[in-house]
Amino acid sequence: MSDLDRAIEQLRACRLIPESQVRELCYKARELLIEEGNVVSVDAPVTICGDIHGQFHDLMELFRVGGDVPDTNYLFMGDFVDRGFYSLESFLLLLCLKVRYPDRITLIRGNHESRQITTVYGFYDECIRKYGSANVWRYCCEVFDYLALGAIVLGASSELEPSNTALPSMPIDDSELETEVLNSRGEVTMSTYRARQRSSSDASTDSRNISPPRDISAAPGQAAAPSRSGAPGTGASGDGNGSATTSRTGAVLCVHGGLSPLIDSVDKIRLIDRKQEVPHEGAMCDLLWSDPDEIEGWGLSPRGAGFLFGGDIVKQFNHLNGLSLVARAHQLVMEGYKEMFDGGIVTVWSAPNYCYRCGNVAAILELGEDSSGGGTVARSNGEYGRSNGIVTDNRVVSPGRRYRVFEAAAQDTRGMPAKKPVADYFL
Amino acid sequence: MALEVQPPDGRKRVKVYELKDNDWFDRGTGFCTGQILGEEPRIFVESEDLPNRVLLETRITKDDGYQKQQETLIVWTEQNGTDMALSFQEAEGCAVIWDFVNAVQQHLLSLTSADDALSDDLDSYQSIVLPGPELGNLPEIEQIVRAASMTQGGRDALSKYIIRDEYIAKLVPLVTMAEDLESLIDLHRLCNIMKSLILLNDNTIIETVVADHIILGVVGALEYDPEFPTHKANHRQYLADKSRYKEVVPIKDPIIRRKIRSTWRLQYLKDVVLARILDDPTFSVLNSLIFFNQMEIVNHIQANGPFLRDLFHVFDPRNPDQRRKDDAVQFLHQCAGIAKNLQAPSRAQLFANFISHGLFAVIAFAVKHLNPAMRTTGIDILVALLDHDPVMMRGYMLKAVNEKKTPLTDTLIDLLHVETDLGVKNQLADAIKVLLDPQIPMQDPLGRAGPDYYKVRTNLLSDAFVQQHFDESSKRLFQPLKQLANRTALNDLTFQEVTLYSHLVDILTFFVRQHLFRTRNSIQSESLAPRVAQLLRVPQKHLKLVALKFFRTLISLQDTFYQALMTHNNTFELILDIVYETMPRDNLLNSACLELFEFIKRENIKPFILHVVEKYREKLENIIYVDTFQSLILRYDQMQGYGAEADATLFSQDDSNAPRRIPLSGQRWQGTREMDPAEEDYFNTSDDEDEIKWTQDRVATADGPSSESASAVVKPLVDYPDDDDEDIMDTKPEGAEQQPVASPTETSTEVPTSPPTQNPPERLAEKRRREEEDDDELSKLTAGPKRRSSTSGNSGAFIMNRKKTQAAGSLADKNASPGVLNRVTSAAPKRIAINIGSTAKPSISETNTTRTEVTSESYEKENRDDSQGNEGG
Repeated sequence: MSDLDRAIEQLRACRLIPESQVRELCYKARELLIEEGNVVSVDAPVTICGDIHGQFHDLMELFRVGGDVPDTNYLFMGDFVDRGFYSLESFLLLLCLKVRYPDRITLIRGNHESRQITTVYGFYDECIRKYGSANVWRYCCEVFDYLALGAIVLGASSELEPSNTALPSMPIDDSELETEVLNSRGEVTMSTYRARQRSSSDASTDSRNISPPRDISAAPGQAAAPSRSGAPGTGASGDGNGSATTSRTGAVLCVHGGLSPLIDSVDKIRLIDRKQEVPHEGAMCDLLWSDPDEIEGWGLSPRGAGFLFGGDIVKQFNHLNGLSLVARAHQLVMEGYKEMFDGGIVTVWSAPNYCYRCGNVAAILELGEDSSGGGTVARSNGEYGRSNGIVTDNRVVSPGRRYRVFEAAAQDTRGMPAKKPVADYFL
Repeated sequence: MALEVQPPDGRKRVKVYELKDNDWFDRGTGFCTGQILGEEPRIFVESEDLPNRVLLETRITKDDGYQKQQETLIVWTEQNGTDMALSFQEAEGCAVIWDFVNAVQQHLLSLTSADDALSDDLDSYQSIVLPGPELGNLPEIEQIVRAASMTQGGRDALSKYIIRDEYIAKLVPLVTMAEDLESLIDLHRLCNIMKSLILLNDNTIIETVVADHIILGVVGALEYDPEFPTHKANHRQYLADKSRYKEVVPIKDPIIRRKIRSTWRLQYLKDVVLARILDDPTFSVLNSLIFFNQMEIVNHIQANGPFLRDLFHVFDPRNPDQRRKDDAVQFLHQCAGIAKNLQAPSRAQLFANFISHGLFAVIAFAVKHLNPAMRTTGIDILVALLDHDPVMMRGYMLKAVNEKKTPLTDTLIDLLHVETDLGVKNQLADAIKVLLDPQIPMQDPLGRAGPDYYKVRTNLLSDAFVQQHFDESSKRLFQPLKQLANRTALNDLTFQEVTLYSHLVDILTFFVRQHLFRTRNSIQSESLAPRVAQLLRVPQKHLKLVALKFFRTLISLQDTFYQALMTHNNTFELILDIVYETMPRDNLLNSACLELFEFIKRENIKPFILHVVEKYREKLENIIYVDTFQSLILRYDQMQGYGAEADATLFSQDDSNAPRRIPLSGQRWQGTREMDPAEEDYFNTSDDEDEIKWTQDRVATADGPSSESASAVVKPLVDYPDDDDEDIMDTKPEGAEQQPVASPTETSTEVPTSPPTQNPPERLAEKRRREEEDDDELSKLTAGPKRRSSTSGNSGAFIMNRKKTQAAGSLADKNASPGVLNRVTSAAPKRIAINIGSTAKPSISETNTTRTEVTSESYEKENRDDSQGNEGG
């Protein structure tokens, strides 16, 4: 068993690794992250996770619900630290996993991965308390500076493989499973379908007001049998423009906060020198701080950094960049996830019972792999002509989305949440 | 109904505190009196310094929850909800005022109870009585406590009863009783009751809880949390462990000893026992109790001469007890940690006392310690001092230099070179940065200790002296970097070397940015720039990045000296090599290079465009995976096509861009500052820091070809009164935010003969064109919103300053010589041609044809947003 595996074992048990090992780990992570672009390309299938905020036991619950690394391919959208009592254990575990399985887990930066914010919201104090000096905090902050700013998920399928075959049900003609919500026991609590043939622009709502974006052709709880008339994506032609091109599943952009008025295309993100403390303004700041809101255009953010942006902005951005969805975190949502703007953007929140008192549930978002291999937008990230890889005149179909909702880890698995007391005192 | 209470005699010296954002804010020191004016009983505090200033005037009402804490503290909540505190110098003074308040409240209460005998809810709550503290009564007690906690009245009445009856002390024996009986249900009930009582949020109750004979019983009950039925905490074991308290030098005062103990317990309660259940009010009550305790402890320590003598005597070289020395360092470390939370004046006093007893020697002892943990601790103390007052620290250091002693900086530099513990090295680098930084952002001047330190500073900081010291220290500091000259291959750098170089380059970058004039000497005489350039070729990518950051900073300074430094050698070749090595892969190094060239393109920095395209045209042409390099070539060609005169105005003076520059990262002191004018000012004027700061904030011209130029004379430093900013923003918001600063300097030096014709329409046209051009440049990075104004609305004060800067800039432009305007106008069409770039912009100008639906749409929105931004600002 390598040192790294041992460290992973130890951290999984919520026990810290020695300072020298942290340093070592951070240097390894740095070497790895320096090779990543500002926007990392990730291939589906992938499980997208939102804020963790040092809730170590809930992170364990997340892995239990979503599958372990490296079996599941994960993408964490930042805010690993602060607020909770186990920021160090949580972040170091994720970092260890990143170093151990670089291709199976992607970490991007959140607004809390910053020197200024962590000194206020707990991570700094936790480092001092648990290691006796700020050294570990420094190492971690150095790693923060290297974290990617976003990720783009390619090759996601537009149709979900129904997860629950136990329930017998009729295949539903002309529709494919678009979203599915599962509880932590893996039971389907809600599904939505979209038509294969008709225009897929009708919006609909459901009782929980999370606005699944397309038709619900079947009652919630009913799952489609695994029968498909063709490869996913090939059957639908929602464009209505008579073109011979098939509809395609657009790429999914993942950032912690949201869009920026300074960034009109994904490629512009590449022109940021990201190795710096999160600035107070500018493109990099906005990506980590902005929030979607029910407004038109851009608005001032009450957070004092970043902006608010409306549905029109999202629509336009997705259209220009051949995206079908922006996935982001950054805001507490009581249901764990929230789709907005006709499914153009989704907030994913993965810290259940936030701050140990908010009473919310958490969610992760699974995007399936398009097995047909033909339906995705060929988006050549990082190569010549990258900007031209997007066809913008066709409607792109949003990927099938499976949300797994889970609650805070049971009390008996976590021990009492508490901070570690100081060892000795003079005063 | 006349008040039959006699106001107390005499004035009591007191400090007034107000709770703001969970922090006790010091409203000042003054004299407290109790008075009855008309029929109204009041507490008055007059300022000590300005007898006419009233620090506090508050009417005593019967409902105000006045509380006396410890011997010298009165705390209450004002009618408007503000928490206030009076901290008396003398316990006796406190008692007098307390008696007065009590007498008044008693009196008022007796009046009301006579008046509103009908007010039954008050009565019913006042009569809260808990059943006798017995195990059998626990269910009932729990129920009553829970019910009473629901309402404010109930909480007040319950608190009063608990305190009067000393009920908690009576509950304590039940814990062991229940444990003996192994009655888990009773223990859970006790836990719930204790939690509820603590969350009553009453100072007196919390102080009772941490008292010696009670604390173990209370945390004992809290060990049995019904929410974790299968767990039992071990708080008692932890708190009962006397060995955790270490005494380097015994503190004799029993009151202080008690305070130390109870502070420790309060912290444990806050961090461990109650961490999960604390609500905000209780959290702040705990915090303020801790704060006041610590203040008293620290005050006691620093006023205790014999104690301090004993403490620092531990470090006497003849003392063989190493353990004790280590403990003493840790003791001081803890003091410094506590001091961070204190008000600046008491902190200053504490540090001054420590320093006069020999704190620097202690730091020197600690940083040379064999154990890295001790070195860390030592530097932490130093950093606390630096955070507190960097100016004072530099004063001491320069004083040492002046007295021909080895200054602390030399010690630190030597240590940095040899230190192997990377954490310590990191801290050392940070400390050196601050200590050598010749110009430190002035914080609140009141935060300083007092007249003494100003004296230290002003007496010693003659500029020549500072410069000399800076040069010598730099020479010492950057020696290892200089020695790189003798190395041909850089493939065999050791890990330690890599770390050292990255720290050194990082420090150098910091110096250049903070103070380019002072740094010039050392960069020149030690020829450091070529050494950094060497590092662009090392295999370690993060070191490459650090070196790249250095040059990126030089570029952003837009200073001819540094420009020459980069264009008179092959620096750009090396950077282009990195682009070649990394392209078209998408990685951090590649992005950093692209950003650098994007910046040159966006800011239109002529010398670099000329240099890069002339020397490396072919290389640039081959990079086609992004359009940055093609645009550079395009710009160059256009420059050539239209002659030098136009270029001068076009490319040298887009200085309004300067404030938009992306902040450089990771530095200890954030904030990019345009140094030159401020620097001129610094050279030319005396020590009036505020003034310097002011000009820095306001003037953002980033030119200044050299310090010898006439620029200092013409620089528009002083002439923009605040009010004008407002006007500009109101009447011409676009102009105000968009106008490049056309510096008079450039005008006068570069094109002294330009024809002085000017007519208003052209000016207007010019203004619009510029505005649009600015848009375009932004749009190189973005969809071209006019971002600055929205941002200014957005993020607070320091951006406000920048808005002023921009407004000032536009004013300068208005007043600038007509020549500038004229020339710029004539250049307009060329510029537009140049701007046919990747992104379209909403067109105002007739020649622009690249407009598209989408961008103009977004433009409108952003415009709208813009105005919001202004309102917000």
